[in-house]
Amino acid sequence: ALVVVFCPLPRLRGLLQRCWGRLERGLLPGFSGGQSPAWGPALAVPAPACLPEPVGDTRESNEAPSFLDSILWMAAPKKRRTIEVNRCRRRNPNKLIKVKRNIDVCPECGNLKQKHILCGYCYAKVKAETRLIRMEIRKKEGGPFNTPTVETVVLYDGEKPTEKDEGKRIIERARKRPSWFVQN
Amino acid sequence: MRLSVAAAISHGRVHRRFGLSPRSRLDLLRNLVTALVRHERIEAPRARADEMRGYAERLIEYAKLGDTNERAMRMANFWLTEKDLIHKLFKVLAPRFQPHPGSYTRLLQIPNRDGLDRAKMAVIELKGNPFPPLICPRRNTEKTLINQLLKGYRQDMQQAAAP
Repeated sequence: ALVVVFCPLPRLRGLLQRCWGRLERGLLPGFSGGQSPAWGPALAVPAPACLPEPVGDTRESNEAPSFLDSILWMAAPKKRRTIEVNRCRRRNPNKLIKVKRNIDVCPECGNLKQKHILCGYCYAKVKAETRLIRMEIRKKEGGPFNTPTVETVVLYDGEKPTEKDEGKRIIERARKRPSWFVQN
Repeated sequence: MRLSVAAAISHGRVHRRFGLSPRSRLDLLRNLVTALVRHERIEAPRARADEMRGYAERLIEYAKLGDTNERAMRMANFWLTEKDLIHKLFKVLAPRFQPHPGSYTRLLQIPNRDGLDRAKMAVIELKGNPFPPLICPRRNTEKTLINQLLKGYRQDMQQAAAP
């Protein structure tokens, strides 16, 4: 049977011929031994059994695999990006920093704060006071793992424990009570 | 009915992932719960504080069952690594929160951390702690007599200036 395949590129044609040759050898392994295959005709028929090779291709099949087969192709830019295109990409709204519209003034101290976050100044104030109270607690407890089994109450200068602070542990702080710490 | 158990899809899963492994996540949260019970007010990254809040509130609910309860004692033993806090939990926190039906903690957000990472932080505290309050509830002073008179005066001035 005659099969003619027209390939526009000579190198592709060489590749295809090599693939076809491998296929043939795979399909008819009996042929490599020299005898005809078991299911083939006993008599050889005078007809072309392989692709007709054009004249110019004989030297190409003896060549080493061309460099186009073995190279690893990687992506590279084809043209320089113009400044207009670059500007469009860099100034696109999703690349710009978003404007925050949730900034308010803290009514206590007047510093700026975000609406859903505590004021930094007021929190630092409360944190410093809790640190001092915790130092007093440490002094009272002495060592580690001495947590008492009663509640704690903090009293400032000149304050006496009320009847609500009956069984509680008293922590003394040597200063006047700050206005933002309401006693209850 | 569950048609697919695809591991890569996480629709509806509520647990966050922390640390190196699920065991390390539990250890992290356990340390935070212990610190909260010891100090009653701690600062932590927002995600960890939010995750820890649920565990802390369930622990207090277990404590409310009383320390004779075997399950409650086992829970407290696992979750509190410092064993003197188990006494504090059953003798101080359980009576303190007995009248409350739920929500024993308060989670508030803090400005970002000062270090290089600028992490979002939160402060979580048990209600009824002895420390100064983080937010003072402000009384609405709009309806006081002086403020109403001043408001009327300002409106009159604007109407006189406008036309």
